[in-house]
Amino acid sequence: MKMFFRSIVLRVIHWLGSDIHDVHTGQRIGRALLIPWRGRVLVLGDGLALVAQFHPQSRFTWWKRELGFTRHPEPDFPHEPGA
Amino acid sequence: MSRVLNLILSHQTRGEVEWLLKWWSHCSPLENILLAYGGARENFNSLPDVQRVFIDDPRLRVAHKQRDKQSYGGVWRAAAAWLAQHPQADFTHVYFAECDQLPLIPDLANRLIGRLTQEGADVLGHGVHRIDGTSNSYYLYHIHDPCFEAFWRRISVRSDKQVVFWMMGTGSFWTRRAFLAVASQHEEIKAYVEVYLPTLAHHLGFRVRDFRDQHGCVSGDPLRGLSVESARRKGCWTMHPIKDYGTVCSSPSREK
Repeated sequence: MKMFFRSIVLRVIHWLGSDIHDVHTGQRIGRALLIPWRGRVLVLGDGLALVAQFHPQSRFTWWKRELGFTRHPEPDFPHEPGA
Repeated sequence: MSRVLNLILSHQTRGEVEWLLKWWSHCSPLENILLAYGGARENFNSLPDVQRVFIDDPRLRVAHKQRDKQSYGGVWRAAAAWLAQHPQADFTHVYFAECDQLPLIPDLANRLIGRLTQEGADVLGHGVHRIDGTSNSYYLYHIHDPCFEAFWRRISVRSDKQVVFWMMGTGSFWTRRAFLAVASQHEEIKAYVEVYLPTLAHHLGFRVRDFRDQHGCVSGDPLRGLSVESARRKGCWTMHPIKDYGTVCSSPSREK
């Protein structure tokens, strides 16, 4: 029953939310509902691993900035000598 | 010469384990299987004749896997002890699988070794990705504990000690060296298996890579419409989850 309600709530969040695009590539990297809440932003959605990042601006402005998201690149670390 | 130990984690009844071993026997000789049993002790004593170890680690038997940070440390340690007690068993690699992750191809071991070699990796996992500094729920839950970050800072041989990985815990492939190194590391922190194992391997200096094209049939929840036959047609080597053995009627040998 709990899982049933969870899936209903997630569906509603998915429906109300918007696509999240990578600030660097523009690629769609997920979908979430963003709600400003007590000086923070609630990120509602399932299974996201987003890195928050302010978007570079081509025009200087005092009053507006865009907070976007990106993802880590695929892990590709070398084998360390001695391991 | 390479030899893979198939380490299978089960908590099932004797009948289900018999079925499981029969399935696995189509892609692995029984002497290459080690059953890690996490069920009741009385069931363990009545299991069919197979190499087996009993896991008495309470951190395996938790009420809520994620919130209680379930650990496979006991499984790793028990398998490492078994390997040490059987020096004649010249296993070079370990394939770990939960009982509901089943092989779909008869030559799984060769495919795993081939992929590991191709990737130049020490560990292969499903869905391996970095979660440090992200909105990932596992990361945010773990980073709340100050001991978590401090532990990696202390043991890591990497220059960036803040990297945290996640991978699915249902099936992974290890070189013997990486497997034993992870098993022998004292588990000082409470961390969920899907975070702890890949992150520890990484910080001990091992190269952890993703299975890449082998995600289509491995998922936390059952994939709608996916059957063993359709999984094979998609080129999957393994499938997860298969909860109801009664619905599975064919074996890996049919792939030949």
